[in-house]
Amino acid sequence: MALFSKAPAADKDVERDESYYTAGQYTLIWERFRRKRSAVVALAILIAFILCGVFAPFLSPYEPNAAGRNADYVNGAPQIPQFCDAAGCSIRPFIHKVERYRGADTNFRWVTRPTEERNYVVFFPSGWDYKFLGLSMDRHLFGVEDGFMHVFGTDSGGKDIFSRLLHSIGVSLAVGTIGVLISFVLALVIGGAAGYFGGWVDTILQALMDTVKAVPTIPLFMAMAAFVPQEWSAEERFFFISMLLGLLGWSTLARRIRTHVLAERNAEYVLAAQLSGASAAQIIRRHLLPSFTSYIIVDLVISFPYMVLSETALSFIGLGLKDPVNSLGVMLQNVTRVDVLLNYQWYFIPVPFFIGLVLAFVFVGDGLRDAADPYSEPK
Amino acid sequence: MSAFLRYITTRFFAAFTTMLLVSFLVFTLMELVPGNCAERFLAYKDTQGLKITAEDILAEEIRMGLDQPYVIRWANWVTDIFLRFDLGESCLWRVDVTQLIGDKLLISLGLSFVALLLTYAISVPVGIISANLRDGWFDSSLRIFSYMGLALPNFLLALCVMLFSTIYFGETMTGLFSDAYRDAPWSFAKFADMMSRAWLPIVILAWSATAIQMQTVRALVSDEKDKLYVTAARARGQSGWGLLWRYPSRHALGPVINSVGYDLNRIFNDLPIVAAVLVLTDAGALLLDALAKSNDQQLAGAIIMALTATIVIFNFVTDIFLALFDPRVRKGFF
Repeated sequence: MALFSKAPAADKDVERDESYYTAGQYTLIWERFRRKRSAVVALAILIAFILCGVFAPFLSPYEPNAAGRNADYVNGAPQIPQFCDAAGCSIRPFIHKVERYRGADTNFRWVTRPTEERNYVVFFPSGWDYKFLGLSMDRHLFGVEDGFMHVFGTDSGGKDIFSRLLHSIGVSLAVGTIGVLISFVLALVIGGAAGYFGGWVDTILQALMDTVKAVPTIPLFMAMAAFVPQEWSAEERFFFISMLLGLLGWSTLARRIRTHVLAERNAEYVLAAQLSGASAAQIIRRHLLPSFTSYIIVDLVISFPYMVLSETALSFIGLGLKDPVNSLGVMLQNVTRVDVLLNYQWYFIPVPFFIGLVLAFVFVGDGLRDAADPYSEPK
Repeated sequence: MSAFLRYITTRFFAAFTTMLLVSFLVFTLMELVPGNCAERFLAYKDTQGLKITAEDILAEEIRMGLDQPYVIRWANWVTDIFLRFDLGESCLWRVDVTQLIGDKLLISLGLSFVALLLTYAISVPVGIISANLRDGWFDSSLRIFSYMGLALPNFLLALCVMLFSTIYFGETMTGLFSDAYRDAPWSFAKFADMMSRAWLPIVILAWSATAIQMQTVRALVSDEKDKLYVTAARARGQSGWGLLWRYPSRHALGPVINSVGYDLNRIFNDLPIVAAVLVLTDAGALLLDALAKSNDQQLAGAIIMALTATIVIFNFVTDIFLALFDPRVRKGFF
């Protein structure tokens, strides 16, 4: 696969062997993509995020909902595993146990305070049951010998923020995927029809695209999300919100597909297909689409973070996903309270992870866009 | 001249059609909300101890004209808005929506416009400078800034600002008015109070739009910079910033001016959420209230219509503006 291995990137006079000229489109795109370091790093991070989302039940030590709460450690600070304390060092990482205490010095109120006792970290302990690929499992990556360990602390319900974060990554990716797929199908049908038929069909569909594009989406999302009856289950809400994101997010993509179709429509191969009696749908699907699949993939990757961000915003104001389902927006719902801002700053730990997720998508998208553009190549 | 008038007329009709379509979309959405205005109002009365029967609801529906077919109600709604600026009556409060949102909408539009101005005041010059210093440290730090603008949405930025200001200054910096002026009638002192607090929401609202627009300006100017007419100008002895400003920048700014409406759209998108975070009592928060808490569809529809109308009007104005000031377009008219 080392098509470009001989050529240093700075060298303008790139030497290429025979395989370059016979390589397929995707091989070429991958080779161009590979040479951009930021994009490759972003891709690695993105894959790591996806794996985190998929294997969230295995990676998280506790259930991310009320069932996994630690009632004795509410609003608890992060417990970072350590190797050394006042009593010396150990090879196994450990945390200190906590105890509930009430006495004259605390004004007879219950407080949670750390003790000197060590609680060693164990790997692959058995914990709560979960289903993975249809198998019932109860092994998790890590835990402690006795009681709970909260790497990122706990929230006001005593739920483990680390476990919630891992699950919310999975949820955000799932919402984004469904949203992008729906908007992709809509964009394909509407943009494809506008570009292929032209004339009055094009005029009407373009007016539609302009209209959808002119309406500020978030207020519209809010208006539509308000339909969701309170008694809907978390899963129903989840699918409804993902559908909404897809139903309102297609206009930009549709315009781009229209432009592509418009540019390719008068090519000879389309005329040949028409003369052979192919139907419009067949020509669009079999002949026109494959000619710009790579561009569509790029557009999908680029529009992905917008879906994730819209979902976050909606959930944050309480119109999106609701509690048993975790997402960044859900987790941030209560952080504007002053006592949280002052005392429980670990509520904000998920924020940098989500910035990382969005940035990874943006960099991969940018890298793909440059790689898919045949003119970006050094001559 | 007549060609120009014809151009204005076509643009006007295009904008008008868009608004009609938008109104249809918004009206349909309002209809889809479960339950109608009459039920909602009477359900509210029900909580006040009044007994409500099915006949009462029917009578109220007839009074409000809700028994008429869908299309006719839409037509009534639209003509009221377009001809009389009458946005209807709020479902819950039984007051004219115009009266209810009047000055709040003005405040939000004001905030958004200032944010828009700030966006261009920063992004245009910085984008041009960055294009000229391509691949230097200034350019790369700018690129990181732009990516942050995308990855850190405005409301998260607002949250972070709140976090830091609470920790370091002991104040959350929320609200648009201090306690003393919240319910006071409009006066110069109230205005000054608002201005002393408004800078934060304005900066936060402008954040993403600035970051993205900066990248756009940079890309556009970069593209123009290598074209032959610039080389020709250089050959005639022009150089430095003067050259950059007179030739590539002026060409590059056309598409930028054209996208003003969409930047406004971006800012409006952030308005309700930033308003919720920073506890601003403007239209954005009102919309949130109308939808999340009370399902007041008349009010929500009116606000979305008002916001979209502003964007469409902006697009119309920038089209005309471009036609007047871009010599390539103007040539066809005069």
